[in-house]
Amino acid sequence: MSNQGRPNSRSWLSAARSVFWRLPALLAVTFLILPLLAIFLKVLPQSHLWHTLREPFVTQALRTSLLTSLSSLALTVIFGTPLAYTLARRRGPGTTLFDTLLDLPMVLPPTVAGVALLMTFGRRGLLGPWLDAMGIQVVFTMAAVVLAQCFVSMPLYVRSAQAGFRGVDPELERVAYTLGYSATRTFLRVTVPLALPGLLSGAVMAWARALGEFGATIMFAGNLTGRTQTMPLAIYVAMESDLTTALVLATLLIVVPFGCLFATRFFARRRSDGAHA
Amino acid sequence: MLEVELRKRLGDFQLDAAFTAPGGLITLFGPSGSGKSLTLQTIAGTIEPDEGHIALDGQPMFDSASGLNLPAQKRRVGYVPQHYALFPHLNVADNIGFGLARMPGRTRRQRVAELLDSFHLGAWAEHWPRQLSGGQQQRVALARALAVQPALLLLDEPFAALDAALRGALREELAQVQQLWNISMLIVTHDLSDVFALGQRVIVYDNGGVTQQGTRDEVFFRPTSRRVAEFVQTGNILPAVVERVDGKTVWLNWCDRLLATHAQPLPVGTPVHACIRPTQILIVRPDRFGARARQNVLSGSIVHTDMQAETYTLHLRLDNSQAAYDLEIVLPGYVYHRLAVQTTPHLVVELDPQHLHVIPRKA
Repeated sequence: MSNQGRPNSRSWLSAARSVFWRLPALLAVTFLILPLLAIFLKVLPQSHLWHTLREPFVTQALRTSLLTSLSSLALTVIFGTPLAYTLARRRGPGTTLFDTLLDLPMVLPPTVAGVALLMTFGRRGLLGPWLDAMGIQVVFTMAAVVLAQCFVSMPLYVRSAQAGFRGVDPELERVAYTLGYSATRTFLRVTVPLALPGLLSGAVMAWARALGEFGATIMFAGNLTGRTQTMPLAIYVAMESDLTTALVLATLLIVVPFGCLFATRFFARRRSDGAHA
Repeated sequence: MLEVELRKRLGDFQLDAAFTAPGGLITLFGPSGSGKSLTLQTIAGTIEPDEGHIALDGQPMFDSASGLNLPAQKRRVGYVPQHYALFPHLNVADNIGFGLARMPGRTRRQRVAELLDSFHLGAWAEHWPRQLSGGQQQRVALARALAVQPALLLLDEPFAALDAALRGALREELAQVQQLWNISMLIVTHDLSDVFALGQRVIVYDNGGVTQQGTRDEVFFRPTSRRVAEFVQTGNILPAVVERVDGKTVWLNWCDRLLATHAQPLPVGTPVHACIRPTQILIVRPDRFGARARQNVLSGSIVHTDMQAETYTLHLRLDNSQAAYDLEIVLPGYVYHRLAVQTTPHLVVELDPQHLHVIPRKA
């Protein structure tokens, strides 16, 4: 019968449509997860993982990475927080242009970032003669690693913190002023607690991004074991000699940021669920 | 006594307002965007005026001439914003005690307990602001502001966030708090019922300035301009011309109808608006017509009836009139039914000269 055929053809159509949607989605997920899985599958059968972790080559890279990424995180928070707050509270001409400029370091090829930093802090860079006169050499030092990491990761923090601050009603700050709170005390007692989820997730993302920085670091800070060789650089070196070491370092660089990101999201969600209860 | 005189330019908007008010309940009334909330911010000290002078009980808080600008922290002015702005990360007790942070712990706890008690919030001390009803949130905001013992309390549209049923009760509550604490309150509102219920003193705002200030009855029954007459919903604003003046009576010509008023004498020929509120128009029962001497008796037919919960709004077109309607009349339901208005669509009405308020019309 004709009026039975129509629903049938419709359900066939919707089935086809769902296949056309689900198949690519499935392929995309597989494509994104399979390489990560591959590392685990390759690293798990290795027998001397613990031993590898204690090799000086690995521990030095670990130490350099932790030291530099935590320093750049500190700098990012100290300098990025006032910037994020200012951006969140003012809207004016040029905001879009400034916002775009701020996002640029995130999408720049790391090599471009490396060249840009060299042209600023390098011997022949913009600030080179001035730094030279003061006896400061930046390039090929741990400071250069920190600068490279800050350059690519600070925008991530500023973005997230800005969104966090924008979610805080300025009326709350005004009420605090009329209750005798200075601007600083208001910021610490009202603004920061309420923007905390945004600040925390921004800090974690920025830290993870700094931990993974490779291109700008190798161009601007070089690849000196024990000084500027961070974990991503060590993986690059190890790939040529010792696959196991590379795999162990890679595993660390997957597990640690994943753990941090997941934990912040988990707590942020729990907090916001609580807020809507 | 609150003295305010300010000028502030914000983009295209120019605020140029001045008023003085004795203590008690003061309402800033006017349409949205007329500068009321901006005025509140400048008094609170969170926005700096370009020029002017603000003083409370003789104590200046801002004075551009002498360069004085007390910070918000030092003004002793409490602020209750439109949606109360309770701190969402603090419970009710900590919200109320927020301004008492510098007090020693024990005195602070005791003070908070007293406030919780007097605002009937004792059972809610540990609750979060989001768990409270609108009325409770308002009480927390009031208690928080009053905890630091301000000399003046500013409230920005305090009832806008509430449903109509709650509004009446909270207006009463606010008036009680005002009396109990004996504190001056400046209330911003665009809702006429707030003014009616709370405005001992009314400052009418329009387009960045003050157009009229006075007691509630002055503003309601003796508006000084057509704009204010419209704001206070005078209902009947009749364009007329002064015809003649004899003794205490000023006779107006309203579309070839003569109206007697007790207005201040005005030169013959002055264009005026004659105002009368819809509730002040009397219906004359045919059997009582000769009961006493009457003035300004008009007759017409009802062209439209609008029924509200307790009242009826009638539109009356006078005999021989071409207008859609000439007078708006509001009757309580029982009067409407007793007069059997629905069956006698032709009505005789009286405009008491006492109640006809006359505003000179600008040519």
